[in-house]
Amino acid sequence: MRALTLDAIREGLEGDFPATMATCAADGTPNCAYLSQVEYVDPAHVALSWQFFNKTRRNVLENPVACLNVVDPRTIARYRLVIRYLRTETAGPLFERMKARLAGIASHTGMTGVFRLQGSDVYRVESIERLPGPVLPPPPERRSLLAAVRACAQRIGAVADLQALLDTALACIAENFSVEHALILLRDPAGGRLYTVASRGYPDSGVGSEIPLGHGVIGVAARERTPIRIGFAQAEYAYGRAVRESALREGIALETEIPLPGLADSRSQLAVPIEAFGELLGALFVEAAEDLRFGYDDEDALVAVAGQLGTSLHVLQAAAEAEEAPAPAAAGRAPVAGPPIVVRHFRENDSVFLGGDYLIKGVAGNIFHVLVSDFLAGGRTEFSNRELRLDPRVRLPDLSDNLEARLLLLSRRLAERDAGVRIEKSGRGRFRLALSRPVEVVEVG
Amino acid sequence: MPGAPLVDEELAGFLQSGVSVHAASRGATLVPCLVRGIGCRVSPDRRRVTILLLRPQCGPMLADFADNGHIAFVASRPSTHRTVQLKGTDAEAHAPAPGDRALVKAQHEAFVEDVSRYGYDPGLPRTLLGGDWEDVVAVTFTPTAAFVQTPGPGAGAPLEGGR
Repeated sequence: MRALTLDAIREGLEGDFPATMATCAADGTPNCAYLSQVEYVDPAHVALSWQFFNKTRRNVLENPVACLNVVDPRTIARYRLVIRYLRTETAGPLFERMKARLAGIASHTGMTGVFRLQGSDVYRVESIERLPGPVLPPPPERRSLLAAVRACAQRIGAVADLQALLDTALACIAENFSVEHALILLRDPAGGRLYTVASRGYPDSGVGSEIPLGHGVIGVAARERTPIRIGFAQAEYAYGRAVRESALREGIALETEIPLPGLADSRSQLAVPIEAFGELLGALFVEAAEDLRFGYDDEDALVAVAGQLGTSLHVLQAAAEAEEAPAPAAAGRAPVAGPPIVVRHFRENDSVFLGGDYLIKGVAGNIFHVLVSDFLAGGRTEFSNRELRLDPRVRLPDLSDNLEARLLLLSRRLAERDAGVRIEKSGRGRFRLALSRPVEVVEVG
Repeated sequence: MPGAPLVDEELAGFLQSGVSVHAASRGATLVPCLVRGIGCRVSPDRRRVTILLLRPQCGPMLADFADNGHIAFVASRPSTHRTVQLKGTDAEAHAPAPGDRALVKAQHEAFVEDVSRYGYDPGLPRTLLGGDWEDVVAVTFTPTAAFVQTPGPGAGAPLEGGR
């Protein structure tokens, strides 16, 4: 019989049956303790949460060999592991992953304020033994996650346009993973934050909403570049209002007019960084209203999908820049009628209002202001990404800025506002300002 | 003449009320071993505690007890997290007593009721404690130290007054 691997039993490391651990002091006295958290690190290692300087911890520092019992919450299969203490991590991806998960566990077990992660104790797994005893039949697999990854990779890889890429990615995830609520956020390279460019399954799209790096499930996943997964309802990592308020208290300027969408009764959350070629591009977030909806395998699958998404995002951005052509010089005024759209532009933060309604601020607000100003000055409606990128008025925060994504954000906000002005793609690296009403600009400040 | 037993009446009641129990041993090279018990009995004078185990799950544990007698015993009620640890150095394996089967059955029912209160399928705890009675082995020891183990900063403190 082949030896059991940690991968094969890792789904059993989570859930409601607490693991137990025996250690032994140097004087030969054994000790037994309940654990609130066992984290799969890789096929050869687990990490245990260090919360208090207790007998268990004293013992492993003296005598690093320990015995761990875990019970698979689905089948009641029992496993006994002999493990050896290696080191403690007090910062970084593993620590943050465990800290976030512990917040969910603490909330679920009524231990909020008691459980606090001091460190992640990493152990090498020396042996795994399955103990004899009655078991329940495993629940039927909801789906093949490998087939889901394959379907997503094929469809995402076939798309050649940013807007279609984001919509396809969210549709694929919904269809193949049965995940109804998802967000894609991109990194603002200069601002230390992420902005929502696409969402699915919320009453309001939340496109344009922002979250700072390092805050909430999504912000921590992006900053640490590691998936963050929480299996129970909790408040500490709620990513909505509370997170924004804590960021504002720290003096981080954030989009406050557009609320981040979120499930009111969210119980399971998973945020995965989107990366390409070593760069952080953004984050993918999914959530559900049931406990323990996302397991290790779901996490692996969504990391693979996010990898494909990241590569496509990167390639499409590079291709869009390479093909950016100047706009045709000739441009005619489109027929317009009706009362004028009053565009109020606040110089201080480039926030833009259409009539009394907030539209957007920052880079996207500034782009819109430039487009409307050029239209009013010379009747232009055709523009190219390249000229915007080079236009000193636009003030892109960073050369690597994803201008295409900013334009997509602006175009979605305009479509949602439906106030008689839109921007539409008119070709590779080109777009058009489409007005159905006259427009005027009021400068404020 | 020994003083009052370490296990007071209240604690004896707790230990036998259908809580989750575990035993830990260690071998000559200080490698520990851990097994979940299926029940617990306290002697009438409260000086001896017995944990009932399933022999096929014991691994090196019974040999460890024969070798050195060191035991750590922990009992916990899932619904309240109340957890108590006892230590001893004279653990000894033997056949279960005549009344143990009925005692274990009553403790299982209480355990299932305790965890079912917060939405568990009762099949889960029943399966967890299930096994053949022919496989049951009893391990008895004299508690020489007792500790509060309820999660929190106070965990590990010596037990006073049974709590």
